Amino acid sequence: MASGDADPIITVSKLRKVFNPDIVAVDDVSFSVTRGQIFGFLGPNGAGKTTTIRMLATLLQPSGGTMRIDGLDPVTDAAAVRRMIGYGAQDIGVDGDLTARENLRLMATFYHLPKREAIARTEELLTAVDLQQAADRPAMTYSGGMRRRLDLACALVPRPKVLFLDEPTTGLDPQNRTHMWDYVRGLNESGTTIFLTTQYMEEADKLAHQLCIIDMGRIVAEGTPKELKAAIGADVIQLRLPHEGLTEGRVALRAALAAVAGISDMSDYDEGVAVYAKDGPGKVAAIVRALDDAKIGFDGLNLSAPSLDDVFVKHTGRTLRVESVKPTGRTPWGGPRGPKRR
Amino acid sequence: MTVSEFLSETIGISHRWLLKTFRRPAFVFFALFQPIIWFLLFTQSFRAIADIPNFEQVTGTDNYLTFFSGAVVIQTVLTSSMQSGMGFVTDIETGYLDKMQVAPISRASILMGKLLADGVRIVIQTCVILVLAVALGVRFGSGPLGILVLLMLALAFGIAWAGISVFIALTTKDSEATLMIGVITTFPLLFLSTAVMPKELLPDVVQRIAVVNPISYIADALHALIITGLDWGLVARALVVILLVGFVSLGATTLLFRRAVTR
Repeated sequence: MASGDADPIITVSKLRKVFNPDIVAVDDVSFSVTRGQIFGFLGPNGAGKTTTIRMLATLLQPSGGTMRIDGLDPVTDAAAVRRMIGYGAQDIGVDGDLTARENLRLMATFYHLPKREAIARTEELLTAVDLQQAADRPAMTYSGGMRRRLDLACALVPRPKVLFLDEPTTGLDPQNRTHMWDYVRGLNESGTTIFLTTQYMEEADKLAHQLCIIDMGRIVAEGTPKELKAAIGADVIQLRLPHEGLTEGRVALRAALAAVAGISDMSDYDEGVAVYAKDGPGKVAAIVRALDDAKIGFDGLNLSAPSLDDVFVKHTGRTLRVESVKPTGRTPWGGPRGPKRR
Repeated sequence: MTVSEFLSETIGISHRWLLKTFRRPAFVFFALFQPIIWFLLFTQSFRAIADIPNFEQVTGTDNYLTFFSGAVVIQTVLTSSMQSGMGFVTDIETGYLDKMQVAPISRASILMGKLLADGVRIVIQTCVILVLAVALGVRFGSGPLGILVLLMLALAFGIAWAGISVFIALTTKDSEATLMIGVITTFPLLFLSTAVMPKELLPDVVQRIAVVNPISYIADALHALIITGLDWGLVARALVVILLVGFVSLGATTLLFRRAVTR
């Protein structure tokens, strides 16, 4: 179903994951990733991004559907798949008691690199992620950005064909985020296919060649960021309404704007109503006048060219800007249960 | 998967755990001083035991220190191996277990690497007890070979017992639960065995429990090694018990591990 890829390296078809008893985390997801691209999986917390990436990375058995990575099945050929992928988890799996150098050397052991190669690869990666200075300090003394970089380096030890990155910049400050983007782009330019999940539309927009937007376990839109935004075909005017009486406010607002010419569409989102119009700047005055005539007050007005958030709003009725509450399933012992770490 | 790959993975993982252990000064302190504390507590509080009329007759020694050396070894091995699972809980929480599972390594080496590191820790702790015992005047009845056998028994027993802790850890995925279950089970097992009191001096009910308590068989072998001499019959019995415990605990843990991996 993806847009006519010449050479897909990952194909996923009708993938499903149901956690006990009946939480559908991933529901009938299909997509394909073109070799050599950066593929983005954009969605809010709990959308099913981590579950999907964990199934691809051989950490989780799917409940249904098929997956292929370079022709191999992560379920039945797990060992072969593990040899050609790298995985950077959302919660940074580096050992804080060990130094960066020790972490990398251990990874080299896991991938059965001969000693000389292991040493060379370790030094090469320390340089690549700018950690030579801190290489002999325990990783627990590192900043969040440094730990992310070390984690990335660990995932790169086997020179993976496909690199999976689960929210690689979550929790990073803007400066470190930009750095991480540069690393990811550099890796991709040297030939690595990258599958990354993110909840930041800006990240998806800037990095991904191809994009799937996922929400509540289902893919709601896919294409290049440009295509997705172009599909909206209009500027977006978001009208934020007072929280009190939001539902009635939306109805009144829609009624008041029904007569305004040039509005191509309106859709509710969690803070108000998004109005779509070809010539956005030219319509603002008419919209404000109509609302004023109808005595409808509003808290904010935001005019923009369509963003990926607008794409998300259009398909789901919610904005990505608001973080949804994380579901917490706890066992009687208080430990995480089932789909851990979403 | 070749044997040499399996070995290098296992050694690599062991090395990681040992580095982690010895990089925590507090942990090293407690690992080494815990046996000393137990030794002093047991020997001082239970000093009067040696005054029981037929103590020497049933234990083979009139020295309470000599008798309690074996008990402290068992206590230390139990406590130490019951912490083994904690590392796995941390690895689950930090995502390091995922990292290992994404790598093309054997699941068995993840488990064996940890148990091997715990084994090394347990041998070191046992050596501390033995050195302390000698310093306090205990004479080993079985000589250097006996001490070697004692260390091997402690190692094997520790690894088999650590399997239980790892099983609990993987089931609960919770460090407090893992630790508490360890603490709660250790003491009844210890006091309902022949480790701290010769069988003949235990009340009838406790005797009946002690007979089916695996700890008793380890304790009998260790007491003999320290007090009277190398008794291969007792050593063999202890080994059989260790193998049984190990077979069950490591077998169940391996199964659980496979399931945890492919869930």
